[in-house]
Amino acid sequence: MLRATLARRRGTFQLEVALEAAPGSTLVLVGENGAGKTTVLRLLAGLERPDRGAISLDGAVYFDSERAVEVPARRREIGVLSADYGLFPHLSVAENVAFGLRAQGVPAKAAHGRVAAMLARLGIAGLGARRPRELSGGQQQRVALARALVLEPRLLLLDEPLSALDVQTRRELRAELRALLAELPCVTLYVTHSPMEAIVFGDRIAVMEAGRITQAGTREELLRHPRSAYVAEFMGVNLFQGAIVRRADGMAQVQAADGVLNVADPGGAGDVFVAVNPREITLHREAPSGSAQNVFRGTVVELAPEPPFGERVRVVLGTRPPLVAETTRQAVAALGLREGSQVYAAFKATGVVAYR
Amino acid sequence: MKPPPQSRAALALRAGAVLAAAALLGILAVPVAGLVARVPPRDLVARLGDPAVLQALRLSLVTTACATAAIVALGLPVAYLLATRDFPGKRVIEVLVDLPMVLPPTVAGLALLLAFGRAGLAGRALEVLGLSLPFSTLGVVVAQVFMAAPFFVSPARAGLASVDARYLDAAATLRASEAFTFFRVMLPLALPSVLAGAAMSCARALGEFGATITFAGNMPGVTQTMPLAVYVALQSDLEAAVTLSVILLVFSFTLLLGLRLAPVGLFWRRADAARHAR
Repeated sequence: MLRATLARRRGTFQLEVALEAAPGSTLVLVGENGAGKTTVLRLLAGLERPDRGAISLDGAVYFDSERAVEVPARRREIGVLSADYGLFPHLSVAENVAFGLRAQGVPAKAAHGRVAAMLARLGIAGLGARRPRELSGGQQQRVALARALVLEPRLLLLDEPLSALDVQTRRELRAELRALLAELPCVTLYVTHSPMEAIVFGDRIAVMEAGRITQAGTREELLRHPRSAYVAEFMGVNLFQGAIVRRADGMAQVQAADGVLNVADPGGAGDVFVAVNPREITLHREAPSGSAQNVFRGTVVELAPEPPFGERVRVVLGTRPPLVAETTRQAVAALGLREGSQVYAAFKATGVVAYR
Repeated sequence: MKPPPQSRAALALRAGAVLAAAALLGILAVPVAGLVARVPPRDLVARLGDPAVLQALRLSLVTTACATAAIVALGLPVAYLLATRDFPGKRVIEVLVDLPMVLPPTVAGLALLLAFGRAGLAGRALEVLGLSLPFSTLGVVVAQVFMAAPFFVSPARAGLASVDARYLDAAATLRASEAFTFFRVMLPLALPSVLAGAAMSCARALGEFGATITFAGNMPGVTQTMPLAVYVALQSDLEAAVTLSVILLVFSFTLLLGLRLAPVGLFWRRADAARHAR
């Protein structure tokens, strides 16, 4: 169990945050750049010191300003995946992953075994002798993750783990990372600026704005009752839940309450969540003939220009299931969309995230 | 076609810069070339066989090696301290470290003599231990350390300070102690600067003259290093002095050139390959 209250002032920026997260769960800290998310991670990891507050993890007190307790970073059982991964450029992959074990005096042979097992678990067993600069972004991310996880942390801090990757890799790794995190016994704190990632990864989601948590809850709570403009953006993410009713060739059909969706098979049994990014949805006047596996017909319920300039427009659709798409003002004009227009909404199965 | 005035000014500036560079390079290169041109290679080899020359050369190499080793061993902690900590009096220590670079070597030798001589404070303490630095080979090493240490500490400190903080943060979250982080992260990443500093101080120690002759004297086989031997030869035999100078020049030149040509990346890779071969 992670419990933390943190207060820190730097110039005019005041950070004031209280967090709680249970082992085996993922708490997502979501907010725009400059909201103070990374600072929270650094304070928890012991890389910076709060002005006031307390941090305890599974009963161990890491920091308490009242009782003048401060455990240095290297004595905290916390693993960190920084946004740039911070892999040591002069060490091989295996040496990077072994670093923490060797630092604690684990003999080379024992460390080697644990490193090999961790590399295998993350699917990068063949990369041990490579240098970080010889790796793709996705491989670097896994090495950094292996390096943190091999120490079996009680708390894993992830700072924008997908943001350094290109769009295609991000899409591929999102599901993999989620599956990996779901297996971890530790508390996971995941920082992101992307509402989409918050929805996908967060068992609980805390929204941070200007140094404060303005709303916290499960994804369903946040989707249903947004309490600020920033949280309201979450409304744009189309989220469905349902059982898999048919599978073939790595694809699956999910029966949601109000319609059927085609997705990449997430594996396993039981209900799955399906999240569709509104920007992945394309709108058409005629039935599209392309490769999109999900096509729905319906009426435009609402056209809502996005602040500040209305360059992008949210299109609320009366399809089954109901969808919200996001497109450009030019596209709306080109299609001649008005409220009440009949349209086809389409998206690829690969543009959808399905997860448990 | 007449060039526009602006480009004529640029042309003049460029010509001026070329002339200035040529003048400086000339001042540096002409004396060196003059020395080398004076000595036929055959004489050089013959002179290397002279026991007196060999003695001075051996003494120079031994004392320089010892001085360089001492400078690296004692200078690394100083460089680390200056690179990573803030403390009261840091400015004073920085000046103290840089001081020998601007101090006339004779003055340095005199200061060493006053401190480590029979009557000196440190000298009396060392005498109790049965050690006497002045006019001894160890004194040569001390003089070289005194004069050459700044050439190591400054670049080593700059190199250590420039190691990206994110690697140090990563090491801390991977539960590494400060010492482990230093040897496994900071030192390897700062290695180019540290090696450059070591080579510079080595070259400076090899050429040390003023402090050595003032503090350690000029005894053949004991304290007469190559620069001192050149000085002595100059009194009686110009040709011998020139030959000795060229030998010294070749060593210094090779040392500095080797430093430029040795890519430090290779150093990492080699260490790595050795580890994987096991």
